[in-house]
Amino acid sequence: MASAFLIEGLHKSFGALHAVNDVSLDIEAGQVHSLIGPNGAGKTTLFNCITGFLQPDAGKVFLKGRDVTDLPSHKLVKEGIVRTFQITQVFGELSARENVELAARSREGLNFDFFRKASACRAASEDAEESLEVVGLIEKAHLRPEELGHGDKRVLEVAIGLALNPEVLLLDEPTAGMSRTETERIARLVRQIADRTSVLLVEHDTEVVLSISDTITVMTQGRVIAQGPPEQISRDPQVQDAYLGAVEVGED
Amino acid sequence: MAASPDVENLTPDASRTRSREVATQVLLACSALLVLAVPFLGASPFFITLLTEALIFGIWAMSLDLLVGYTGLVSFGHAASFGFATYAAGIFAMNVSADFFLSTAVAIIAAAAVAFLTGLVVTRLSGIAFAILTLCICQVLFQISVVWRSFTGGLDGLIGVPLPTLFGREVEPGEELYLLTAVSLIVCYLLLRRLVESPFGKTLLAIRANEDRAAAIGIDVRRHKLVILIISWMTGGVAGTLFVFLKAGANPMSLYWIESGNILAITILGGIGTLFGPVIGAIGFIFIRDQVTTMYRAWQFSFGLAFVLAVLFMPSGIGGIAERIWRRLWPARSS
Repeated sequence: MASAFLIEGLHKSFGALHAVNDVSLDIEAGQVHSLIGPNGAGKTTLFNCITGFLQPDAGKVFLKGRDVTDLPSHKLVKEGIVRTFQITQVFGELSARENVELAARSREGLNFDFFRKASACRAASEDAEESLEVVGLIEKAHLRPEELGHGDKRVLEVAIGLALNPEVLLLDEPTAGMSRTETERIARLVRQIADRTSVLLVEHDTEVVLSISDTITVMTQGRVIAQGPPEQISRDPQVQDAYLGAVEVGED
Repeated sequence: MAASPDVENLTPDASRTRSREVATQVLLACSALLVLAVPFLGASPFFITLLTEALIFGIWAMSLDLLVGYTGLVSFGHAASFGFATYAAGIFAMNVSADFFLSTAVAIIAAAAVAFLTGLVVTRLSGIAFAILTLCICQVLFQISVVWRSFTGGLDGLIGVPLPTLFGREVEPGEELYLLTAVSLIVCYLLLRRLVESPFGKTLLAIRANEDRAAAIGIDVRRHKLVILIISWMTGGVAGTLFVFLKAGANPMSLYWIESGNILAITILGGIGTLFGPVIGAIGFIFIRDQVTTMYRAWQFSFGLAFVLAVLFMPSGIGGIAERIWRRLWPARSS
């Protein structure tokens, strides 16, 4: 299969700390590629470098063969690289629907439309509706984020991402702070959306990662220590040592 | 009967929202008619002149609301938009033509140009840094207006700006100038209302809430800030033009930081993010100032006190409270 999204030799240092050290990833179209590793492994820094929130020191990012390394965040979104945030950051004073509509209008290039009423942008409303439908939030679309449960808020982040019609959707710990049932809901959702976009998933829950990923990359201290399909990763002694074992010990 | 709650709620919701919109439009239309009718209700010339100044401040306060209320950019130097335009329009009217449309166009274009240059720097910033830098830029313009005597008249300012002409006919001071101001206010309000409800306007709310999140849905944050800064200054330019014709002159004090403080206080007291609130704030400010200054000198103390109390006890301002009452009269949801 063609690689949809390619990261080559990415570096990012903060002073003497190599937060991301020579990381390469190859994400195939329609795949769920997961990134795991203990806290401080550099996963979020990598996310920030890929999505234009940080400038990498070295390395390249290609989307469908095009070099998109130096583009600012908002342009990357237009190219099709869309992210969610680790800490939910939806727009608090807008309803769930308005949050998604904002993204849908942005995708349709209406950000500089001055004269139409925002509420009259039909196509965007329909796209937003569809995104909310896909994630199962349509019945709660009129609620504001503060009226939504924690799980629903995370799902709303995904809906906003989908409304931007991404080539690759980067999800930063979508199940953080969730109950088991909610985690399963997100896991199903991630698997389900992989037929419309590639997914790069940062996740702590190893069970989720092993069950829904096509490929897993394991990072510690800024480096990739293993890469491969779930079966291979779960058997890798180095990975067990560095990460999987540690999770079992610290499990709550 | 256990009908699905969604089906039950959605339709009445929509019709309620609709009826509130209609009611809002009726209210706005009535307010506009009232504003236009003032000269025909037997108001004194003094009252008319004072109200003219109030409405000019209203336009100016709306322009600041775009930045503070809608985009979350608190400018401490908004006197720049207004004061700069008074000079641009005044100098043009004295030397070239006092045609109202031409003078306004010149002031708007000049304001837009300065806003663009200012924006290249300040749009990189937000919060306190934005506030302080806008203050600095405004002080620079103030100094220029004081020092460049041959062009600006120095501390005396511009004196003897002619009355504006409209379609070749001179606009008389008093009622006619008032009507010109009132129509300008209504046109500005309608255009800006349209703007804040447009897709562009909604992106401003996203930027105000969270710039990173806004960028992550594809909004070019800096460019949007630059555009709204330019639009805000252009609107301030309309106010500056009317002001220079009202006063028949321009003065460096229009560029002084105290004016920036006044208009910020007016906008916040009036209610940021409502557009009409700052207009009410401006009318209140001008009339109370007029009353209080004749009573005692330390009127700015009472204004400051009122401002502190208002920020503490009604942070959403007059406009915010009015909107809440209006919503209660026309509830959107049946509960």
